[in-house]
Amino acid sequence: MFGFRLQAERPPEPRPVANGVVMRLDDVYEIDPDRMQIIAQQSMPVSDTLRIVDSRWEHLAWMHDHWADNVLSAEEEQAD
Amino acid sequence: MSVVARSDSVVDELQAILGADHVLTNKSSLFNRARVPAPFPVHRWDEHIPDIAVLPETAEQVAEIVKLANANKIPVVPRAGGTGLSDGAVPVVGGILLDVKRMNKILDIDLVDRTVTVQPGINMLKLNEELRRHGVIYPDDPASYPCSLVGGRIGTGGWSLIGARYGHTRDLVISMQVCLPTGELIEVGDGGGRKIRKSSTGFQLKQLFMGHQGSLGITTEATLELVPRPEAEFAAFFGYPDYETAYKSTGVLAKSGLASLAGVVLFDEWKVNYLRRDDEAYIPQPSELRCVVAVAAYGTLAETRPASQVIMAIGKDTGGNYLGDEVSQGDWASRHDRYATPLHGRTPEGQVVPMSWHCEDAAISYSALPMVREEWHAIAKRYVDDYGVFDDWGMFAYTNGAHKPWGDYLVEIDIGIWEQRLDDAMWDAWVQCKREITEVSLKYGGSITACHGSTREGDAEFVPREMGGGFDVMKKIKRALDPNNIMNPGKNCLDDAYED
Repeated sequence: MFGFRLQAERPPEPRPVANGVVMRLDDVYEIDPDRMQIIAQQSMPVSDTLRIVDSRWEHLAWMHDHWADNVLSAEEEQAD
Repeated sequence: MSVVARSDSVVDELQAILGADHVLTNKSSLFNRARVPAPFPVHRWDEHIPDIAVLPETAEQVAEIVKLANANKIPVVPRAGGTGLSDGAVPVVGGILLDVKRMNKILDIDLVDRTVTVQPGINMLKLNEELRRHGVIYPDDPASYPCSLVGGRIGTGGWSLIGARYGHTRDLVISMQVCLPTGELIEVGDGGGRKIRKSSTGFQLKQLFMGHQGSLGITTEATLELVPRPEAEFAAFFGYPDYETAYKSTGVLAKSGLASLAGVVLFDEWKVNYLRRDDEAYIPQPSELRCVVAVAAYGTLAETRPASQVIMAIGKDTGGNYLGDEVSQGDWASRHDRYATPLHGRTPEGQVVPMSWHCEDAAISYSALPMVREEWHAIAKRYVDDYGVFDDWGMFAYTNGAHKPWGDYLVEIDIGIWEQRLDDAMWDAWVQCKREITEVSLKYGGSITACHGSTREGDAEFVPREMGGGFDVMKKIKRALDPNNIMNPGKNCLDDAYED
C-alpha cells in the first residue's frame, strides 16, 4: 500500500514537556510549532514517525557492533 | 571559467585518457562538485564552478591527467568525499576537478605485517566492513566516517575521534604513492619501505604529503595500519554543575594514563544549552546540569573493563554525575550524526531556520581553554546580536594528541549560519567574525586548525603568521614541486610563492 489516511495516522495533540519542546508520542521530542513560523512543520503520519524511531535504534545498535564485539555497561559493572 | 580547460583539444585528450563517460562537463556534475558542507557563499556559487570534472580509475590515469594539466597550465583540484570543512576541495580559479571516487579498490590485505593497501577513493566504513572478516580494523574515525574517503583524510591531515587510542590519519598511513604536480608517480613513507613504520633514512617525506590540501600532489595509493578489532567499547557521559568542575575533571581523565582511552571531550554551557534545546538526550536532563564530559575507551576486554572502572571512579571523584547507559552509549554511537541530519538553528527571536554548521577547529593548550572559551563566545555574541543570521551552538574541547592526550585540545566553537540570507555584507561579516576567532587562537599560542585545514577565507590569511619562518620554506617547496602552480591554486596563501 502506498497511500494512507492522514486522519487515521494523525498523532495526538502536542503536550508541552520543556521550554519550546512538545511531545505527541512518548519519547519523541518535537520543537514547539509556535517556533516554526518561518519553516513550517510538515504533517507526518504516526507510522512514519515510529519507523524513524525504530530505524534510529537499529542504526545505533549497528554502529556499536561495527566498532567492537562488546559494549560495556557502567550500570551493569557497578551493579556487580 | 578557464578558456584553456574547456578547449576541444583538452577535452579530447582527457576523453582519450579516461573514455567519454568519465569526463563531465554538464552543469549538475560541475555545480555538485563546487562546495563542501561548511558554510558557503551560496550567492557567489558561480565563482567556484570547475571547468571540467574527471573521474579516473587508476594511478596511471591520474598521472596522465596531471601531465596534461601541467603542460597546459590548467589548475587541478583533487576531491574525494567532498566532506571537508575547510574548502580544500572547493575550486578557486576553475580548472579540472579530479574526483577520486572511482579509485575505491582494496589492493592488498597483509595480515602478517598488518597493513592494507587501498586506492584513495575508498570509504573507511566500507573498508572496515571488509576488514572485519579478518578480525582487524583501520581505526580512522572522523565525524564524517560514513561518507569521507581515505584520500580526503590524507589531503586534510585528518583528525580521528578515537585518536587518543589509535592515532590520527597521519599516524595511521604508513606510506603512499603520490602523483606529483608534474605527473611523476613516487613512493613516500618512512624511508623507502612501503610497510615500514619507522625509518631514519633521508627526509621524513610522508608528513610533507599529509595535510597539504591537494597543493603538492594527489595520493593515488595508500598503505594503512591495521589493528585488532576491539573486543570492547566503553563510553561514559558525566554531567557537571559548572564549567570549572567539568574542566578540571576533563584534565584528570585525560591524564589518567589509560592506554585504552580513546578520547575525552568537554561540552561547555552553551553547547549543553544547544543540546538541551534540540537533542532528545538532553531535553529531559535537570536544569542543574550545565556541562558534560564524555569519555570513550576501546581495546581488549582485559584492558577495557578495568579501565572503565577507573574512568567511572575519576568521573565521580571529580564531581561528575553519570548520565546513564542510554545517554552514554546512544550519544557515543551518534557521533557521526553531523553528516546525516538536516541542521537547523534559531533566529535571535527563537524561530527555527535551516542553518549550515561552521566548526572552528583550533588546537589549544589545556591551560588556555577557559580564556579562549570566554573570548570566543563574546565574539560570537556580537555577531549573533548584530546580524540575525548566526547562532552560537556552543563549544567543545576534545583531547588532541595521538596516544598522549593530555596537553592540547581540538577546540570547536560551532556556529550555525543561515545561508539563504547570505549576501556580500553578511558574508564579509562572517569572515570578519572568523578572523577575530582566529586572532584569539594565535594569541594563546594555539594553531588555527587541528583537523580541517587552513584553506578557508578567515583562516588562510593567517597561515604565514602562524608558520613564521617556516612559511618561506613552504613557498620554496611549493614552487620546486609545482613550478606552474597547477595543484589546487589559491589555497594556504601559496600563490605568494610565485610573486617574485
